[in-house]
Amino acid sequence: MAGALSLLVILFPWTGAVIVALAARRNPRWLHLLAAVFAAAAAAAGLGLLFYTGDAPAVTLSLGGAFGDFTLVPDGLGAFLAAVAVVIGSLAVIFSADYMRGEAQLGRYYFLVLLFIGSMCGLVLSGSLLLMFIFWEMTALCSYALISFYNDDPKAVAGGIKALVITQFGGVGLMIGVLVTRAALGSDSVSALLNGADSLPPELLSLIAFGFLIAAAAKSAQVPFHTWLPGAMEAPTPVSALIHAATMVNAGVYLLARFYPAFAGVPGWTTAVVAVGMLTALMGALMALTSDDLKRVLAYSTISQLGYMFYAIGVGAVFASQFHLLSHAVFKALLFLGAGAVIHAVGTRDMRQMGGLGSQMPFVRGVFIIGVWALVGLPFANGFWSKELILEAGLADGPAWAYIVMLAVAGLTALYSFRMVWMVFFGKAWTGRRLHDAPAAMRGSLGLLAVGTLTIWLLAEPFKNLLASSLLRHIGEAEGSVLLAVLTNPATLLALGVIAAGLAAWWWRESLTGVANRLRFIAQAAQADFGFEWLNRQVVIVTHRTAMTLRTTQTGQLNWNAVGIVGGLVIVLLVLIVGG
Amino acid sequence: MTTVLVVGVFGLVAIGLYGLLIVRNLIKIVIALQLLTKAAALAMVVAGQVSGQVNLGQSLALTVIVADTIVAVVGLALAVQVRRRFGTLDVRQLSTQKR
Repeated sequence: MAGALSLLVILFPWTGAVIVALAARRNPRWLHLLAAVFAAAAAAAGLGLLFYTGDAPAVTLSLGGAFGDFTLVPDGLGAFLAAVAVVIGSLAVIFSADYMRGEAQLGRYYFLVLLFIGSMCGLVLSGSLLLMFIFWEMTALCSYALISFYNDDPKAVAGGIKALVITQFGGVGLMIGVLVTRAALGSDSVSALLNGADSLPPELLSLIAFGFLIAAAAKSAQVPFHTWLPGAMEAPTPVSALIHAATMVNAGVYLLARFYPAFAGVPGWTTAVVAVGMLTALMGALMALTSDDLKRVLAYSTISQLGYMFYAIGVGAVFASQFHLLSHAVFKALLFLGAGAVIHAVGTRDMRQMGGLGSQMPFVRGVFIIGVWALVGLPFANGFWSKELILEAGLADGPAWAYIVMLAVAGLTALYSFRMVWMVFFGKAWTGRRLHDAPAAMRGSLGLLAVGTLTIWLLAEPFKNLLASSLLRHIGEAEGSVLLAVLTNPATLLALGVIAAGLAAWWWRESLTGVANRLRFIAQAAQADFGFEWLNRQVVIVTHRTAMTLRTTQTGQLNWNAVGIVGGLVIVLLVLIVGG
Repeated sequence: MTTVLVVGVFGLVAIGLYGLLIVRNLIKIVIALQLLTKAAALAMVVAGQVSGQVNLGQSLALTVIVADTIVAVVGLALAVQVRRRFGTLDVRQLSTQKR
């Protein structure tokens, strides 16, 4: 049963992708329906898989020779992330039925979306590193193609290429880790790395650990690789929801959580993870505070929340990081789809041109505020529980400097979130046009996600038991009830106080103008992306110059190319003679 | 006998590579490539003889001969087309042609 379900959760989206691509010339109504049916079937399979988890390989595909076995292992962690990917993914697909109505090239759109969802499930269920790497690259490819979906818009194309290049850079880190593991352990199964990490020479293990960290940071948009995520906002909004909540960015957090027990002993690794997470959370929050583009604010807030998850893994609270991943997936999908409904109605992403939309779009305003409630971490939405859990673990096990910064970021989160809500839904109406509230399919997705945001924390106990099987060695949290532990811990009050301070800062923003002016240099730095965009451009310029210089070696003369061939032959012979 | 054949293989490789490095005429380059593949075919026969798998070596050599005859035919046909279109077979002139 587990084998069939773990295959179906990949094959339902992929089959759907192929069928949609073949049916692309038919009536678009059928395309929406087909995609939604296959996505819903995958969601059902993903939810069913949660009841059949196990640590043994459920599917084994023997390739023989150098490749070994490709396996699918539906353990608690993998099944949970696969379920997140298919459920959130299917809601995004249903939402697309309204959002993408009347768009051209729907076949390409749904093909890529379904391929994306299936690849993500394969990535988290894969039990061998080589297969994981293949799925890892497939998600990168799908994200590139979807970000560039409006391929006559140069900004969309540039954003897609940027995402591809940066995540490929991370992919190289993953590949180095995988190949070193294979060479050193003779096997590339996930369990071999987890069990054999202690027997590896320390320098090889640190190479693997930091290779994986680079891969995870690039995939999950952590400093200094975060610049691709805001650029990815050119994609259609359901795709943004998919990338931010269901598929792409979760992969990095998954990678670290999966291999935390193997790498925790590597000197400097946990500190590096904490530092990356802390810097990212802080800078993401500051950039969200100074951005005026609705989707960009959400993108920066994703970066910031992913920083929280990295931080949690760094201090050893792997369960808290996965719990926050679950909360974040639900409420961020809600926020993105809500933003999509707003953008669909208003026709712009600039928050300065919105304002006062609440009276015309009461439903969207309601669900959006629920999402923001959870993002800020106010009781008792799902974000509250998971964020408090992370902060408590940070206070107990992490360095003090990181804890103080993360606490301050919780306040900043409150500040930028309420600024966003105010600019979009309250205040003076900017447009006099009559706007339509969300249509039926949008309402369905948004309503489900809003209910999930408010209630999914009730499942904390079963969720912990689910993950305990695969994270048993390093679950790290207190015994007994998770929720009770949050409520009784004094750190909760401290964090709530900081969040309240953030809200107060927004409420009395007029009287704080003097302070704001004095901090203007930070705002300017944040608007300039703290120089990372500049750094990106410099890398591109240097690469281009080097390429132009090296170009002189390409004469196009046949005889010179033959010299290259002979030279290569000589080198191979020398290596064989000396090495043999 | 084996020694002679091995020397022959290396001799053919040397002549073929020399041709690739020095020669400018497209047809002569195709001939040089043919010498290289013939060296490879001969090497397979020798290897089969040395390792005792005579049948395997010879059948592989025959396969190579068939395949590289096709390569030669296509290469020479291209050379004819190039001569007709550009009026020259000199590869250095060809690599600077605009069209």
